[in-house]
Amino acid sequence: MTSLPAPAPELTIGRQGTYAGAVSRLVAFGADVGVSWGLFTAAGALVTVAIQLFTKRTITITHHQDLTLGALLIWDFIYFTYLWAVSGKTIGMALFGIRVVTREGNLISTRQAAVRTLTLPISIVLLPISILFVLYQKERRCFHDLIAGTVVVYAWDARAARLRWISRAEPTPKQPVT
Amino acid sequence: MAQQVAERVIALVLDSIDIDALIDRVDVEKIIERVDVDKVVDRVDVQKIIERVDINSIVKNIDIDSLVEQTELGSIIARSTTGVLTEVLDVIRAQGVGLDDFFFRWSNRLIRRKVADLPTGPALLVAERKMA
Repeated sequence: MTSLPAPAPELTIGRQGTYAGAVSRLVAFGADVGVSWGLFTAAGALVTVAIQLFTKRTITITHHQDLTLGALLIWDFIYFTYLWAVSGKTIGMALFGIRVVTREGNLISTRQAAVRTLTLPISIVLLPISILFVLYQKERRCFHDLIAGTVVVYAWDARAARLRWISRAEPTPKQPVT
Repeated sequence: MAQQVAERVIALVLDSIDIDALIDRVDVEKIIERVDVDKVVDRVDVQKIIERVDINSIVKNIDIDSLVEQTELGSIIARSTTGVLTEVLDVIRAQGVGLDDFFFRWSNRLIRRKVADLPTGPALLVAERKMA
């Protein structure tokens, strides 16, 4: 089986616990939007089928836009708040190896998770400015981080990458026995 | 006085003895044969010796990474615990970190700020890294 070249240690284990940058955060957020939307759509389809089965009535989501929008907002609030409060990372963040912690490095509280979710739209609306702000800010925090008292750090399990790195290191030439 | 005389005499006697010749005359094999090793071992309290050994400090002194480097263990463990997907993820994550660094470095250059003066991470996590 062919393996991919192992990433350098300074990009993997050497970075665990340091502040995550704008690109990783943005890509993780993009993944979260996709995952959250996908789950919502799947749940919506299930609910529609269930209603059709039990009431014999056909429901079209486009006819209930306000209701759908309301449900989507509630769903997104639960998705982000629950995952941040429980593990400090959403599915997108877990994929791209970053997590939210307090400024000291502890797990964030449920209140901080809720505040972070509620203030996230500020950073989304001001996206270009938010990116520049993350680049400028010393701890690479965005607006919603400042309000919630949180920071984002690199935190993926680099054990496998480390093992691969070690196993692929150039073998030390054996010294002749004298 | 008597003590000093005795010490002087013993020193003179020892100087005059050829220790090597004396050792050559000793049949070590015969002595070993007469020793009941089982009896000696029975008298040793192995449990007590083990209790006195600080295993943790021994393990701390072992450089596990260099040990694994000398073996095929690293690749075996990596192959058995990770799949292609994990490898792809590692590469993507590392690319992300590389891009983060690139943009952060250039933004700091533009505002003439030294990266070395900036904090690297939250106090608790940085302390953990230093300990590891």
